[in-house]
Amino acid sequence: MDTTGSNGNAPAADSGAGANAAGRKSGVLHRLYTGTGAFDIVGKRKYWYVILGLLMLASAASIGIKGFNLSLEFEGGTSISMPAQGASGQITTEQVESTFRDTLDEDPSSVQLVGSGGSQTVQISTEKLDVQQVGEVKTALYEDLRPLGANGQPSAEAISDSAVSGTWGNEITRQALIALGVFLALVTVFLVFYFERWMAVGALVALIHDVLITAGIYSMTGFEVSPSTVIGLLTILGFSLYDTVVVFDKVKENTAGLLSVTRRTYPEAANLAVNQSLMRSINTSVIALLPVLGLLVVGAGLLGVGVLRDLALVQGIGMIAGVFSSLLLATPLLVDLKMREPKYRAQRDKVVQRRENRGEAGEQSGTGEDTSATGTDERPKRNGSAPRMAGAGAAKGSGPSEQARPSGKAQRRSGTRRRR
Amino acid sequence: MAPPRGQIRPARYLLAFVVILLGIYSLVFFTGDRKPTPELGIDLQGGTRVTLTARTTSGKPPSDESLKQARQIIEQRVNGLGVSGSEVTIDGTNLIITVPGKDGEQAKRLGQTAELNLRQVKQAVPVSATQGGQGQGGQGGQGQGGASQQGDGSGASGQDDPANTAPQAAAQQAQAQQQDPGQQGDSGQQQDSSGQQAPGQNGDDASRAERIEQLKKLRQSENPAIQRQAVMALDCSAPDPLRGNADPNKPLVACGQDGERKYILEPVLIPGTQISDANSAPPGQQKPEWTVNLNFKQQGSQTWADFTSQNVGEQVGFVLDNQVVSAPGINQAIVGGNTQIEGDFTQEEADNLANTLKYGSLPLAFDQSTAETVSPTLGIASLEAALLAGGIGLILVAGYCLVYYRLLGLLTILSLVLSGAIVYGVLVLFGRWIGFTLDLPGMAGFIIAIGITADSFIVFFERLKDEIREGRTFRSAVPRSWARARRTILSADTVSFLAAGVLYLLAVGQVKGFAFTLGMSTVLDLIVVFLVTHPLVALASRNKFLSRPGLSGLGAVQRMGERARKQRQGNQQQSASGGTPKEA
Repeated sequence: MDTTGSNGNAPAADSGAGANAAGRKSGVLHRLYTGTGAFDIVGKRKYWYVILGLLMLASAASIGIKGFNLSLEFEGGTSISMPAQGASGQITTEQVESTFRDTLDEDPSSVQLVGSGGSQTVQISTEKLDVQQVGEVKTALYEDLRPLGANGQPSAEAISDSAVSGTWGNEITRQALIALGVFLALVTVFLVFYFERWMAVGALVALIHDVLITAGIYSMTGFEVSPSTVIGLLTILGFSLYDTVVVFDKVKENTAGLLSVTRRTYPEAANLAVNQSLMRSINTSVIALLPVLGLLVVGAGLLGVGVLRDLALVQGIGMIAGVFSSLLLATPLLVDLKMREPKYRAQRDKVVQRRENRGEAGEQSGTGEDTSATGTDERPKRNGSAPRMAGAGAAKGSGPSEQARPSGKAQRRSGTRRRR
Repeated sequence: MAPPRGQIRPARYLLAFVVILLGIYSLVFFTGDRKPTPELGIDLQGGTRVTLTARTTSGKPPSDESLKQARQIIEQRVNGLGVSGSEVTIDGTNLIITVPGKDGEQAKRLGQTAELNLRQVKQAVPVSATQGGQGQGGQGGQGQGGASQQGDGSGASGQDDPANTAPQAAAQQAQAQQQDPGQQGDSGQQQDSSGQQAPGQNGDDASRAERIEQLKKLRQSENPAIQRQAVMALDCSAPDPLRGNADPNKPLVACGQDGERKYILEPVLIPGTQISDANSAPPGQQKPEWTVNLNFKQQGSQTWADFTSQNVGEQVGFVLDNQVVSAPGINQAIVGGNTQIEGDFTQEEADNLANTLKYGSLPLAFDQSTAETVSPTLGIASLEAALLAGGIGLILVAGYCLVYYRLLGLLTILSLVLSGAIVYGVLVLFGRWIGFTLDLPGMAGFIIAIGITADSFIVFFERLKDEIREGRTFRSAVPRSWARARRTILSADTVSFLAAGVLYLLAVGQVKGFAFTLGMSTVLDLIVVFLVTHPLVALASRNKFLSRPGLSGLGAVQRMGERARKQRQGNQQQSASGGTPKEA
């Protein structure tokens, strides 16, 4: 698509930059779908820094002040659970409490009904009991309340129990942190080799953002943190990076050979890449979130407790944080880092120079003029958005499509062509 | 990295995939137990799982060797339960006991620390502490012979007197505890009640360490006066914080297992690891009672020979977890390592003592970190829930893809289904080959991997849109976009796989299953994308009907591509008509 008429400043990211020459009004969704680079994400990076920075600060503060709501595994204790259906109908928490009291002469810490429908269970949490006490309680519960087993008959086997020592959660967490360290080291190496130094930095910052925000949300909302949560947090790392890698891949492609042409600046090329990845990121996240949603519905709604719920919740939160960071944080940060290099600044100046010379209105120097790092903001116009899409291929200096106009016949290449 | 510029031959790739799939399933159906079911973890089928964490006082991680030994010993104990399918695995510094089914309750009692040592008894004091200890083997003198002298000829060659000891085991009543002697009421795992509750490890570790230090000063003192004090102060009814923490090189004040005597013991003479074998022997001609035969390894039997020859008449305590299980007297020098212990044993007592001596000596002390019994009811409920969650996830993903990508979405669904088929087959095989069990976190891993798998398709399709937007036709865009997407998919999957791999190798607990399935899905995802999705898209792009924009949902970008082409070259292309894509 060719943008001939640029319409001056585009203050808001989605205020149409006249991006569509077809004369049809293209909505935000359309521009999203077609990825035409109409969102000035890199140019507005200061906003993102501020917003995300504040969120990170809030998270850190909440973690520092309020801490986490830790699950049984961190405190140590025993939990006993059984189906909420007994031979004589619904089992109530009062019945359970009284049975427990009669057996051990002490009160359980809590008794609650969790889940819904057929999988509803009674959960009893107590201080740590020894094996014998657990056995006594289970026997008493069975004799008093007759919980129904899978076949609809009362069954002593229908009662589950689990005891956790107070150190187990810490053990898991410690190992998780070791894993985190190793993972970060490996990933840094991978990124540096696969991409480049600055991209590795950008990706890692985005990663830290994701973990911090997720942890912060847990802290603020008081969601229970279990060992499964800690683990889920680790797997987010993979996802967060995955997302960032895809965006960076595009950036890398768009900026290949950039220095030898004066078509667009690095920030513009990066912004275009983000735009082209925008729909993909949104799609990916939606698609990745859908199964997590399924897990969450079942884990939290049906079962009420446990591994499924914990994993799903932390993954869901982390994925959302991951999308934001890979789009709004990683790439803008990369641009800032890049623009500290003189050669990129020089190239930018050339681009500006050229545009001034040709007085092209259509070729807006879009976005990320790097005002902050260099303070040399000498562009003639700021009509910041929508670099020309038609030239999307053109910036790929090294790409085979450099200036290539695939004619309609272009696909008649070598290889077999079969009429079907 | 240069992709072939030409069109691929989709049929070949698809064929390769079919071959792989058939290969996997023929392995499933024609090898092993031929059952197409994966191994399920106990949280999905019901059973008991116990996690034991090795405890070292030094704070250094235990050696692999000692963990392996401990695993073997505990496995022997577990096998003693007679439940098939039980296993003991090492996970980091943990041992994980899993016993499927409903007979696993006892497994919770197996992990008790048992550190066996032989220490010379300096003094034995009845707990009543009124009169001095008597009744130990001074009277001796009975029972020579009968020792199954399998002289292993260690050191003491040429000795031909039958080496055996017949201690007066009056001082020992090896209690008949079920399963494992040497524990008190099996509350073995509870610690001293200090600290342990408070989160914040350093805090309570420190306080525990301090307490242990103080106790050591008292109970491991070399000063007789303090030893006597310690004897008086020792409470034989409480759990012993020094369990597994006693310094072997110092004396020790300890309780007898029968709770009737307290002992002042010398430093460790022979560690229990030097016991090679022990068994109980039924009453024979010379022995009216059950006896226990004991064999030492080479080094142990050397020490034993030297010691017994110099200390006839003295008592030796078999100390299990700082409790004296048995303290027979020495009747004669015992050379050759084969020793007989006798006392008023019943069969059960003899068996227990033999077992304690043989298996009792775990090279490490363990804490029970988790112990859970999952009822079959709960297991089934969890399994159903996970399947349901997976089903919901799949349907949602499929629906979204269909709306958004239309025809391509259909290919996505087909790919996902095939991906599921291959994953399931591999799962069954792994269950068979490497004992991989699918547990709840593992299922969660698969469900979350649905998104990652679908994402590879999206990377590809979005690339496709980029190419078409630049003015290519659907058909010519496929090979080019694939070449680009391939790189991205590979690098992104590398990161995912790294994350899963690191987690699998380093994390402990149930996460292993999660990491494993996640990593496995990542690898299989690549197979499916390369061998199925791409060829299918290539096929679709060559088919006139299928590549209609209305079907592929690429109308908008195709029109853009049109314009780009016209604009650039005035080149005519067949008009890309078709509906505007629905925006999801």
